[in-house]
Amino acid sequence: MEYLASDKIAIVDLGSGDITEEELDEDLVLEKIGGVGITQSLYDRFEGEDPIVLGSGLLTGSLVPGSALSVMTAKSPLTGKVSHVPVVLDAGIEFKYSGFDYMVIKGTAQKPVYLWVHDGIVDINDADEVWGKDVWAATDYIREFMGDDLIQVLGIGKAGESGSPLATTCINYWQGGDRLGFGTLFGQKMLKLIGLRGMGLLEIAEPEDFVEDCLALVSTIKSGPLKGKKGIAQMAVTLGGEDIEDWISPLIHRHMACFNTPIPTNSFVFLDEDPALLEESKVNEPGMLLTDIHPLITLKKMGLSAKDACQVLKECAKYGIDAAAVAELSEKAGTTALEDMVKSFPELKGPVDSAGTSIFSPWAMVGNQDRDTWERRQAVSYILGIHPLFALMTSELTEAKLLDLASLGTELELTQETLDEVVAEVSGKS
Amino acid sequence: MGIKIDGLLCTACMACELACGYHRDDAFALLSSCIVPYRGREKKNYLGVMLKEEDSLVAARPEGIEINRIGEEQDPDKEADASAKPMLLRESCDLCEDLDDGPLCIRVCPVDAISVE
Amino acid sequence: MDIYERFKTLNSRLIRGENIPFSEGIKGLSHPSGTNRDKPLAYPAIAIYAGQGASHSWLWFVDLFDRMGLYDLCFLTDTTLKENGLRGIDVLAMSGGDTFAIAEGLGKSGAREIERFIRSGGLYMGSCAGAYLPLNSSKPFLNLFNYVPAKITNLTRSLPTALRLKEKFCTSYGCSFIFHPVRETVELKTNGFAPFGKPKTLLAPLYGGPPMILSDPAAVLARYTGFTDHTLFLVDRKLAEETVLGTAAVIRKKMGAGHFHLYGPHFEHPRFPTANHLMAAAMYWDLRRGNPPCPRTDALQGDAFLSKKSAKHFIRAVKREISNARIVAAGLEMQPVQWTIGNKVYDPGKIRVFLEAIWSRLGVLEKAPRLCIQPGQDGATMRHTASLTSLVRATKRDSDQGRNTPDLARTLFSELSHSSMLFLDIYFRTQAYHFGGIHEA
Ligand code: SF4
Ligand code: SF4
Repeated sequence: MEYLASDKIAIVDLGSGDITEEELDEDLVLEKIGGVGITQSLYDRFEGEDPIVLGSGLLTGSLVPGSALSVMTAKSPLTGKVSHVPVVLDAGIEFKYSGFDYMVIKGTAQKPVYLWVHDGIVDINDADEVWGKDVWAATDYIREFMGDDLIQVLGIGKAGESGSPLATTCINYWQGGDRLGFGTLFGQKMLKLIGLRGMGLLEIAEPEDFVEDCLALVSTIKSGPLKGKKGIAQMAVTLGGEDIEDWISPLIHRHMACFNTPIPTNSFVFLDEDPALLEESKVNEPGMLLTDIHPLITLKKMGLSAKDACQVLKECAKYGIDAAAVAELSEKAGTTALEDMVKSFPELKGPVDSAGTSIFSPWAMVGNQDRDTWERRQAVSYILGIHPLFALMTSELTEAKLLDLASLGTELELTQETLDEVVAEVSGKS
Repeated sequence: MGIKIDGLLCTACMACELACGYHRDDAFALLSSCIVPYRGREKKNYLGVMLKEEDSLVAARPEGIEINRIGEEQDPDKEADASAKPMLLRESCDLCEDLDDGPLCIRVCPVDAISVE
Repeated sequence: MDIYERFKTLNSRLIRGENIPFSEGIKGLSHPSGTNRDKPLAYPAIAIYAGQGASHSWLWFVDLFDRMGLYDLCFLTDTTLKENGLRGIDVLAMSGGDTFAIAEGLGKSGAREIERFIRSGGLYMGSCAGAYLPLNSSKPFLNLFNYVPAKITNLTRSLPTALRLKEKFCTSYGCSFIFHPVRETVELKTNGFAPFGKPKTLLAPLYGGPPMILSDPAAVLARYTGFTDHTLFLVDRKLAEETVLGTAAVIRKKMGAGHFHLYGPHFEHPRFPTANHLMAAAMYWDLRRGNPPCPRTDALQGDAFLSKKSAKHFIRAVKREISNARIVAAGLEMQPVQWTIGNKVYDPGKIRVFLEAIWSRLGVLEKAPRLCIQPGQDGATMRHTASLTSLVRATKRDSDQGRNTPDLARTLFSELSHSSMLFLDIYFRTQAYHFGGIHEA
């Protein structure tokens, strides 16, 4: 596969330590397009070996607005279904530029390890120094050891290490979009984290037309109904969800976008620093990045102050436990004190409604979405590599437009028919 | 004429960096862009945008613009910071002079944090 | 076809032993008159100096020769040059760096080797520091290399005021100073003498190279004629004009059966095709011999090969380490550090120049049917590239903690240079072996 791809699939056997590589066959792309289309087929191929499959979408890392998404496909310990979670912030594109399009992680390591994926190389490294560390400390360690602050880390904390069914895979310091317990799978595999850094290059089949089309899309989106929208609270309102803006906004420092996503869907709150500060804070860990609206809504309902709610989320992110599940179970148990919630982390167990019933992480199930439309939009985003929340908000990103871009970028004829087939297949409706 | 950046508006989306990389390499890559949102202080949420011009490095910080002339000595009393000598070997901003519709980074920035002045 | 491809095609014929006269082989120049017009061209054996005092600019020569299909390359340090390193070599390319350190490193025996090499017909191509080295001087070590009676106009007893780049502005020279009035792109005009063809104006980058005055006008191939929008003035413009304009930028001087080609500006810089073209043309013009035979390329047939499995392992190991080091180097590029090594100032961006020189060539080796090495060279390259990762990481840690450690930087730069030489040697052996289809299976 020559365009918009590194043309490489890594198959990592944690049990034997073997790493093999395969080319990304153009026929596979013609048949399955990319993203979950291909992670699903790789999952099926290695099903007997409990794989976690990491993959990027066809348009991930390009100039198409919202092209931030990579995905992980595995069997969710919470729903029992083969499911998909989004890899957002800057981790999705870091994987795309790391020299691999897909990576199958199979088997179980004999002792804790981490994967270091860089420029087309996968190293399985001893995790002695990071196992036992919380998510933040582990990210700090890897970045310092490898010597680069831009390394993106997909990792687990104590929750995943200790087998909590609610363990989530975090991105750097923050909770990502994994509501399906993939952190538990990492822990079972003795896989502490995946460090990603790539300085690759993606060739484009028709660069000028492709880029012009992307620029035209940016300009339409910028002047459309999303103009000026920013932050986690406004995004929820835009999608018909609960309005928590007044409650959270006094803490907000800045709004942050995932890679090339025109709407910043994340908000950074300062908890130990003045949110209005413009200069660099002297406090080492002044706050945290909010990426998921659901736990905030629940905690607000429970009567927590915005600051306490954000503290809960910060502790969850460090421990690597899904904050939405924690909020839900705390609400059910009537636990409202911050310390009690944190103390309860080791004992918390499912089942939880926060895992949803879809094969896509319900992280992007914000507001009152029509279920079928939502599923379809998720599937399309997860195949092409578009931020799933952004895709829900952006009608300008039509399937036809995305397919056009995919064809321009790759020189392959990718039709609506193929997309329909892949969507049906990943949704189990074929 | 030069590029002006509002460091406070920036959402660190990296679209400008990718667009500038495309302008250099005719492909998607990030290593040669002369405009780079600075993402290195993630836990502190301190970010701005750096731009390499012909003879200066512009750091558009949230608190304001700082211009360092390339080759001029820094104030020795000032704390060393990330914008002092970065990207020296990258090509400087040429305002996308070969493009009829003007600078790519401006066209791609979703929050209009970049303009020409 | 661009000039590099044209030269590559020419060289693919030369390496096969074809007989091509200069006037037929070197296209695109108005043809110079002179005795060498009809001389058959040769595929040269080239040595690039990368020893003590050399800066990263020797890699520009590497790029130039690589793009032109000149693969019969080897790399010399001050030590290997003195140990008979110039045997079998036609061209010695000496690029920028710290002239004093180069002279000191080479010392008396190095000077003797170079003199013997040129007198016996070798071609010395020096740019920037490499151009200063053979100019007459009374200073210790430099006076071992008094081969070309040219004066430089940027020598002064009282330094003018530096407008910028204080660290790159001057070098002390006994009780005097060599100062650099301008940097970056300057305008030159060729004089119409062979081998440069009819007079023409061109651009080339100046990074501290000499403005020269020579009593023999016929030896001056090009002069500095003007500045450009991209010229960076380190002193007052008027003084820069007085010091630089009208002086010799390129000179060609005979010694024994061989020649010096001295370039003030970096004609080998990868972004200046016209300068590259002239430099290469001049090189062919003064090569000591014609084709055939081609002794070193014959010798290349005897090279050792790595097995497929070892080659894969080797490329993976080097790729892993260079990737690791490159990732840190890209981060360091954003940091406000620089180091002074000898008389030269290095900033972290230069780390990447070495790493890219290796990185950008890994793909070619990955695809090469066979890897040619000397015994033990693969192991040494893997060891050295691995130590690069630890050194660059340690440098980053120091810089993160606000420590500026020139010693570490010195070790790092010397390791970068060493690893690059080891790797590039394998690269060029392999390229030479497969070039021109002479060793097709
Ligand atoms: S104007 Fe063009 S060259 Fe300059 S920063 Fe923007 S994209 Fe890069
Ligand atoms: S495109 Fe605009 S918002 Fe995005 S990183 Fe650049 S300046 Fe910031």
